Amino acid sequence: MRTADRGLTGLASRAGLWLGVAVVLNGAAAAMLVLQLVVLARIVDNLAFHAHTFGQETGRAGWLAALLAGRAVLGWLADMAAATAGMKVTTALRADVLAHLLRVGSVGMAGAGTGETVTTLTEGIDALEPYVAHYLPRAAMMVVMPLMILGCVAGLDGWSFAILACTGPLIPLFMALVGYRAQAIMDRQWTQLLLLGNGFLDFLQGMTTLRLFGHAHHAASTVGRMADDYRRTTLSVMRVAFLTSAALEFFASLSIALVAVVFGARLLSGHADFRTAFLVLLLAPEYFMPLRAFSASYHARQNATVAMRRIAALLALPQAPMAATIAPAPPSGPLAGIACTNLSAAYGTDAAPVLAHASCQFPRDALTVVVGESGAGKTTLLRLLLGLLAPSAGTIVALDEAGQPLAGPWRDRIGWVPQRPCLPSGTIADILRLGAPDADLAQLRAAAAQADALAFIEALPQGFDTPIGERGARLSGGQARRLALTRALIRDPAILILDEPTSDLDPDSERRVADAIRRAVPGRIVIVTTHRRTMIGQADHLLAVADGTIRPLSASERAAA
Amino acid sequence: MSHLSPLFAPTRPIGRRMAAGLVLACLAALANFGLLALSGWLLAAAATAGLAGLVAAHAFNMALPAAGVRFLATLRILARYGERVVTHDATLGLVGQIRARSFDRLVRQPPAHLSRQRSGEQLFRFVSDTERAGHAYLDAGVPFVTAAVCGLASVGLVGAFVPSAGLVLATGLLTCGVLLPLAAGWLSDRATARIATQQDAMHGDLVDILQGADEIAFLGAEGAMRHRLDTRQAAIRHARLHLAAIEGGARALTGAMAMLTALGVLACASTALHGGLLSAACLPMLGLGALAAFESVAPLPAARQMARHARLAARRMRAACALPPQATGGSLSPTAPLDLDMRAVGMRYAPDEAWVLRHADLTIRQGERVALVGPSGAGKSTVAGLLFGFHDYQEGTIHFGGTDARALDPDALSGLVGVMAQDAHLFQGSIRRNLAMACPTADEAAMWSALETAQLAAFVRQTPAGLDTLIGEAGLRLSGGQGRRLALACVLLRRPRWLILDEPTEGLDAATERAVMTALMASLPHDATLLCITHRTAILPFLERAVEIADHRFHDVAIPRGRPR
Repeated sequence: MRTADRGLTGLASRAGLWLGVAVVLNGAAAAMLVLQLVVLARIVDNLAFHAHTFGQETGRAGWLAALLAGRAVLGWLADMAAATAGMKVTTALRADVLAHLLRVGSVGMAGAGTGETVTTLTEGIDALEPYVAHYLPRAAMMVVMPLMILGCVAGLDGWSFAILACTGPLIPLFMALVGYRAQAIMDRQWTQLLLLGNGFLDFLQGMTTLRLFGHAHHAASTVGRMADDYRRTTLSVMRVAFLTSAALEFFASLSIALVAVVFGARLLSGHADFRTAFLVLLLAPEYFMPLRAFSASYHARQNATVAMRRIAALLALPQAPMAATIAPAPPSGPLAGIACTNLSAAYGTDAAPVLAHASCQFPRDALTVVVGESGAGKTTLLRLLLGLLAPSAGTIVALDEAGQPLAGPWRDRIGWVPQRPCLPSGTIADILRLGAPDADLAQLRAAAAQADALAFIEALPQGFDTPIGERGARLSGGQARRLALTRALIRDPAILILDEPTSDLDPDSERRVADAIRRAVPGRIVIVTTHRRTMIGQADHLLAVADGTIRPLSASERAAA
Repeated sequence: MSHLSPLFAPTRPIGRRMAAGLVLACLAALANFGLLALSGWLLAAAATAGLAGLVAAHAFNMALPAAGVRFLATLRILARYGERVVTHDATLGLVGQIRARSFDRLVRQPPAHLSRQRSGEQLFRFVSDTERAGHAYLDAGVPFVTAAVCGLASVGLVGAFVPSAGLVLATGLLTCGVLLPLAAGWLSDRATARIATQQDAMHGDLVDILQGADEIAFLGAEGAMRHRLDTRQAAIRHARLHLAAIEGGARALTGAMAMLTALGVLACASTALHGGLLSAACLPMLGLGALAAFESVAPLPAARQMARHARLAARRMRAACALPPQATGGSLSPTAPLDLDMRAVGMRYAPDEAWVLRHADLTIRQGERVALVGPSGAGKSTVAGLLFGFHDYQEGTIHFGGTDARALDPDALSGLVGVMAQDAHLFQGSIRRNLAMACPTADEAAMWSALETAQLAAFVRQTPAGLDTLIGEAGLRLSGGQGRRLALACVLLRRPRWLILDEPTEGLDAATERAVMTALMASLPHDATLLCITHRTAILPFLERAVEIADHRFHDVAIPRGRPR
């Protein structure tokens, strides 16, 4: 809660300049409004009590029109400045959070589902916009406008000044009290609201499962019942909020009525003049108006606080260890191998170690295949090698030709092909150039040929310019893997790491992918995890991960594997 | 017939609440108008009486109008509170009703439509569309009706005193209440559509980027991704600013028009005053009344936008719900023995697509334990869909329990056949709720026994809340393998005579896989049938017979023997 509040304060300072402009413009517009009312009161007084014709008032009417135009333009500019402030904050924050998440990496993000994180990045951050664009300027106006009107009324009428000055501050006090209660109710029912609110989506997603259970017909009525529960719970929260507004209006009406009654009596006895009374009556609602506007945007703050809590949770994720070393570094000498010594790793400090004092070597010009049952630690080993996870003990070093540890960073020379490659929408060439923006077509073709991807790419209707993804051609699992391998090869990595490159593939695709990996071996350290025989058959060295240790398998054990 | 009733028409009780909400909203707006007008009159009348001297001042009865002011002020507060509670209540009720009805329609469509044409993104949109459509009443209906009623009343009142002033007010209100919303709406529709497209694209990009975060880092493509996001965000910001400019412009114009109209009303009133047709006390009343009348018109440009959003949402929903309901679904029950008999079946998803099955024959007798293998994409998962009528077949015949599959009653079928689909869904809430969804009549002992067979009981037991442990969004996150095992437990709990399991052991390590298969085989009654769709060779030895799909047909193949380890 406190970090979220601090985050919100940070937001305000990010948009400082534009918010300042909005508040100044709003203040100027408010001053024009007061002047407008002064002129209007004068016109009405003259028309009603000084026997003026409208013709005599055209001059003042002209002034009024000019003030109107001025206020309209200023108000519009203030709105635009506030909207700009809101959008500046959200776009910058979104880019920052995404950049942070890219440095956190998959291991750090494992706790949060992708869908949830994307929702936080889109709708969550969007929820901050009304807070910046509406709540903050209105909060400022809540101070500026009443003070301006109070000053004005002080110069006009002492009684009214006293009434407004006394009732004004009571309202925010009272609202804060009710607001706390609303927050408490919100917090208490949060989980229930979340579950009920998502219930419909949940049922839509599970529609096929419901049919297979034979419950499709009852499900519709269950949807209705859940919606009804949601309605009741939401209303209990809303009632408190509505009560807040009602209380606000009650106080506002009460003080306006007081002003009017006091004036009425004095007008009757001839102790006050109509123009002043009418002007004060015009001004009094404007005194309370910013409070009303503010209370209407109060939920913007609540939404923003909730969203900020989720954003802060994302920003609090620690960066992966590789983030610092992956930046392009001056080329170090040739790599001859990687040595892991005494490696231990665990997820969390109190969790059981996945690897304990494990050691192994990965030489160059060889295909090293890592096997082991799922959950044994294959993926953990890869994460350690990639620097996505920091070992709790032990070292991983790159070795030069002399077998000495290489000074300086070397992880920027890794080419990494995960089990599900990232293929954002775009053309084949766009996707291949993600890692090498300057690569020409000849380079793309050479890498594609090496990865056995050239034939299928050229068979596509527009070759390398074929769009894939949502609106484009669909690739089979094997084609996607070979495309990802091509992309990694374009950067000519010294180390090539592939995670389960042939899982879920039919035998033919599996063989093609395995052959392509084999071709990439000369001059490289190639590391592959797998549980498939075809891939194991291609291995130069076989490592087995089991019971927290890593050991090489002999030829006879290989045959049995 | 509930599925014949239109999607959006409210039921009686909700309709009554909606009407009550409208009445309250009008009452609040009228009270507001009356309050301001009467206060203006009260002050001016008191001033007139005060100016006329002591006698007139004593003769002036202030108690009655003052009571009127108090009454209207109280009425405004109460009516507004009531309006908010009742309209929100009605809106939430309406949304719930729209959701129930649209769900009822969707659930009758062949699931092939759902799975093939609707990504998660589109389901998400469907949810927000139902909300938007339901909110049309609150966001557009209430403001327009209130403005119309309050506008008519104020024009009537002002016109009753000075007809020409009524005309001026009517012109001003129509300009701000009809012309301005229409113009603003027309100007902003394109930007609104552009925002929606760009937001969808950004959503897709973010999913790609986050899922590929590590790969992007090792490709050095962070800059490219950031640039991609920036381009999208800039386009959205541009369109949003365009919208804000129009909305702000409409707001500013309404404010200016209100004052100008009040000025016009005053001009007409002053002419009437000089002609002796109006008392001096009424002039301020008319001016204030004109200003008050605009308060109900001010939200209309925004309401027009909401109405458009709601209309688009309703159109999308209608299109989604308009797909023909499932053609199959007879009323016959299969009879024992429950044999599956497929003869010369030909099946493809669309006339222009390749055949998935062609001239395919398959017979599975009740009590057999069969593995269905074949390369990915060969149509293994299609078999269960054919039986349940999720996919239609174009050639040949399918009989189950001696009955044509097309004539089978889906409810009777689902009572006999338990299917664990590859994408079996786990529902939000507790483990107990998921099990109860599968089989509402199961008791706790049955639940534990199903979990035991699925090798999940130990895990559930060590969680503090046991069966009541929440999973998903608000609770514990299950690993892929744990999720599969819970889905398996759900199917087992139904004690089906026929069991179709699609990749039951995906995501499990070898030891757990063996344990699950051993427990599963031990728990099956001897006359229960098992069809295991799989590409894991390790589970084949547990089964009696293997069928491979190749060249769009079924072929019996040998199981590599050697007893299960």
